[in-house]
Amino acid sequence: MGDAQRRRTWLALAGPYALFLLFLLVVPFANVAIYSVHPYSPTKVFLPELTFANYLKIFDLYYLRLFGRTLRLGLITMAVCVVLGYPLAYFLARSRPRVQALCLFLLIMPLMVSAVIRVFGWIVILGRKGLVNQALAVFGLDPVRLLYNETAVVIGLVNVFIPFMVLPIMASIERIPPSLEEAAQNLGANWAQMFWRTILPLSVPGLLSGCLLVYSLSISAFVTPALMGNARERMAGQQVYDEVLVSFNWPSASSLALTLIALTGVLMFCALLATRRASRREAAP
Amino acid sequence: MSSRWPRPLVPLVVAVYVGLLAPLVVVIAVSFGPSAAFEFPPRSLTLHWFEAFFESQALVTSFFRVSLVVGLLAAVLATLLGTGAALGLVRFRFFGREALEAFFLAPLVVPEILLGAALYLFYARLAIQASVWTLLGGHLIICTPYVIRTVTAGLVGLDPRLEEAAMSLGATRVQAFFKVTLPLLRSSLLSGAIFAFIISFSDINLALFISGPQSTSLPVHIFSQIQWQGDPTIAAASSLQIVIIGMLILVAQRIFRLRLVI
Repeated sequence: MGDAQRRRTWLALAGPYALFLLFLLVVPFANVAIYSVHPYSPTKVFLPELTFANYLKIFDLYYLRLFGRTLRLGLITMAVCVVLGYPLAYFLARSRPRVQALCLFLLIMPLMVSAVIRVFGWIVILGRKGLVNQALAVFGLDPVRLLYNETAVVIGLVNVFIPFMVLPIMASIERIPPSLEEAAQNLGANWAQMFWRTILPLSVPGLLSGCLLVYSLSISAFVTPALMGNARERMAGQQVYDEVLVSFNWPSASSLALTLIALTGVLMFCALLATRRASRREAAP
Repeated sequence: MSSRWPRPLVPLVVAVYVGLLAPLVVVIAVSFGPSAAFEFPPRSLTLHWFEAFFESQALVTSFFRVSLVVGLLAAVLATLLGTGAALGLVRFRFFGREALEAFFLAPLVVPEILLGAALYLFYARLAIQASVWTLLGGHLIICTPYVIRTVTAGLVGLDPRLEEAAMSLGATRVQAFFKVTLPLLRSSLLSGAIFAFIISFSDINLALFISGPQSTSLPVHIFSQIQWQGDPTIAAASSLQIVIIGMLILVAQRIFRLRLVI
């Protein structure tokens, strides 16, 4: 094939998707960037002046607290996901193929169902007349308000995002040969020592990318905090949604969106690099 | 396969699975229950809410006319776009290939809620009315990377000498591709299409912004019903979604390694 023909074939193959991304990803975010440096006017959609007020506003107390709360809830979610997800990942990595296939199905199926349905289920469980309060009533206890607070949001976020913690850790534990564990134990280490000295250090890349994934997904979550959280204690994703669709303050929403995307983008990029490096290290002799 | 993981882990693993599956079990149970107040466990079983679902014009429209149609179109188009892109990435060597791959997979790292907002503002700037088509455009952006992943995985595992053998036996490059490579890629293509459908079918973050009042997708409909205290009709709709997605994942698992999803 000649060079020109090769180029034409390539364009015919990858060109349509590249164009699509250009028009529905790059241009929309460029548009957001333009909005973010223009002032807000309640009467006009667009004013032809430049301003950095939308970014400076992020240092207002309200927005600082918003970001503080968002990043804090993200950290808590991530920590709970590590505590619950790591043992599950280890279990999956070391179980027999049939058990593993079944358990993977049970892990990925909920992940693929719309987040709104899973949150719906939690609302039924935690609601005023929900399962938990019914159980309390059996013991003669008064109903507890379990929904619409930060605990409920964390429960929801952990439930929605824990597969993103489990799968990368599982992948990195699977790369550790079981014979290594046996060797450590034959040399006299008990299970805890073996785990601490071999498995944990070798699974750090998976752990790292799981943490970054869960963290960046949590801090940009919308459905869970919107349905399970307190309306006055919002997370950043809710603020963006409100400013776009409710208060129509598009310049402010834009600067907020770009700040959030800078935060998550850096984290996600690090996660990708971590997994990339891990698989390269494995490929090297 | 060492099975020497310590016993104390078992209760924890079981607990995590109970937590993962509880919301789905509860939603399905509520959809078969007699009470209008999201009662769990249900006192008796009835198909009342499923009847109500099929009688509700709004829900039937958002399920069959919007979510299902957009999902199927997204699956077909994303498979076409993604297969082309994957071939362009794997079968060609050129400067900046890794950067282009990162660009092609970029939608995976953009928070969906922000992509939804950006698309909303973009459509608003161009004065494009929200419709099934604006939703489809957004869904193609988030679905295609999944196809690129599965097809790239399939292509990498494919011996290029098979295509060369076909050509040395007289096939043209195009014939060799359609008669040899494409059939061998069948399972990657199919699982890519399945994941594209599922991502579109269950998406809410984009649909909240770009599905429009006349073309509300099912998850958005459920979302607003939860906010306004709806009845278990939405549980019936949710149960149908859970069953459809569950079956599709079973199919995908038979032909593809599920763990590559993320």
